[in-house]
Amino acid sequence: MTRSRIARLAAATGLAIGTALLAGPAASASSGTGWIRLAHLSPNTPAVDVYLYSFHHARAKIVLHHVAYGTVSPYEAIPAGEYTVAMRAANAPARSKPVLSTNVDVLAHKAYTVAGLGPFKGLRLGILHDRLGTPKGKALVRVIQASLQQHTISVRAGGHVIARRLHFGRTTRYHAVPAGSLDVRAAGSSENTTLDVPLAAGTVHTLVVLDDPGRLQIDDLTDSAGSQVTVAPATGLGGTAPKPGAPMLPWLVVAAGGLLVTAGGIRVYRIRGRALRTP
Amino acid sequence: MARRGARHALPPSKRIMLGLLLGGLLFFGLGACGLVVAAGKPGKPATPVHAPQAMLPVPKGKRAPVPVPAADDQAAIPVSITIPVIDVRSRLLHLGQTKSGALQTPPVTTVAGWFTGSPRPGDIGSSVIIGHVDSVQGPGIFFRLRLMRPGERVYVRQASGRVAVFRVTGVRQYLKASFPASAVYGGTPTAQLRLITCGGHFDQATGHYLSNVVVYATLIH
Repeated sequence: MTRSRIARLAAATGLAIGTALLAGPAASASSGTGWIRLAHLSPNTPAVDVYLYSFHHARAKIVLHHVAYGTVSPYEAIPAGEYTVAMRAANAPARSKPVLSTNVDVLAHKAYTVAGLGPFKGLRLGILHDRLGTPKGKALVRVIQASLQQHTISVRAGGHVIARRLHFGRTTRYHAVPAGSLDVRAAGSSENTTLDVPLAAGTVHTLVVLDDPGRLQIDDLTDSAGSQVTVAPATGLGGTAPKPGAPMLPWLVVAAGGLLVTAGGIRVYRIRGRALRTP
Repeated sequence: MARRGARHALPPSKRIMLGLLLGGLLFFGLGACGLVVAAGKPGKPATPVHAPQAMLPVPKGKRAPVPVPAADDQAAIPVSITIPVIDVRSRLLHLGQTKSGALQTPPVTTVAGWFTGSPRPGDIGSSVIIGHVDSVQGPGIFFRLRLMRPGERVYVRQASGRVAVFRVTGVRQYLKASFPASAVYGGTPTAQLRLITCGGHFDQATGHYLSNVVVYATLIH
């Protein structure tokens, strides 16, 4: 169920971004670029349209249409700066007053999740700061509790407690766990579920606990992934590098030696010649 | 009489002197010639020439969809890389890490390799592909990497037949001594590619280049 929502959202994102980012600057990993993803994690809130505006710009940069509960967009690379995220009821006019909005200060090289959290009556937009790096040999895991049916849940990953009686709408901090495939178990008061999550070293995960009507469900989101190498590779043998100039010193020594011998010869010749002429 | 005879047959002492004179001149001449030759042959680097556009055809195959943040939609392992603008077409070796923690490099200079400790190309994260700039004889597979420009395309074919298409966002050269490992290898929240080779000055004493060239690219579809 969540899968199809995500697929739909991905398609919508692709379209929206294709049109919205055409005029925008090229996303660059090395300039002032940050990342943002948008999510709907309020179980009893109907589908919404999510708008991302560059601060003070009337035209939305990204529009996600008909975002239903449980959907999380892929990250979008955006220039660092101030943005506004607004939610409107699905199909509401783009100029209508949003149901909710919040400002996000996107810093370069940082990633954010802006999610609709809590119950419909107390819906709020939460800004989560996402991590990109991990301690060496570890993976990072955090939990977003988005199940209304199980108001508090506890989550364990392998032997590690990630969430202990976490309330609906709340998020844990990231926990470092040893890399490897871990059995993640989420347990509420009357429901529980497990998911095998591959946690490679250098990867950051957010586990979202959702209501999948009547059942508890875990959605594993990859927040970031990288590798943990610290050195630069040696990838050249010098065949196209400038050759060093031929050594000069040996030739200099030969020439100087020759000059000395010649000079010596001339001198000896003169002395001998004078000696011969004057008997 | 003795002097006239000496004119026809030089006494041994004079012969030695003349020999010294001529020998010395010979050596001086040799040395001077050597110097001229040595000075007149300054080493010149081989300069890569940017291949004409679309020298290689764009690979055929299903293009990868927009990535969705789900663990079970993992990209298949990469099998080959094509970069039409710099005339690169190579299968991809699988590279690991040496005991000292350094990246393995391809054993041949004409083939590129994917670092298996990094995400698969097309998956979320910074995927690392390495190739040699040259061998001891001449250009390697990534000889022209440093000529790439933002906006150019890189195609990675996966074992599934899909082709992940990346757009270059930056080309950088870093001294190995101050290599920004976290920017190059560190985590990213979107599917990205890092193409790495050597560059800059070549240190004849150590047999290594002093810099690395890194091409940053991001998945477009």
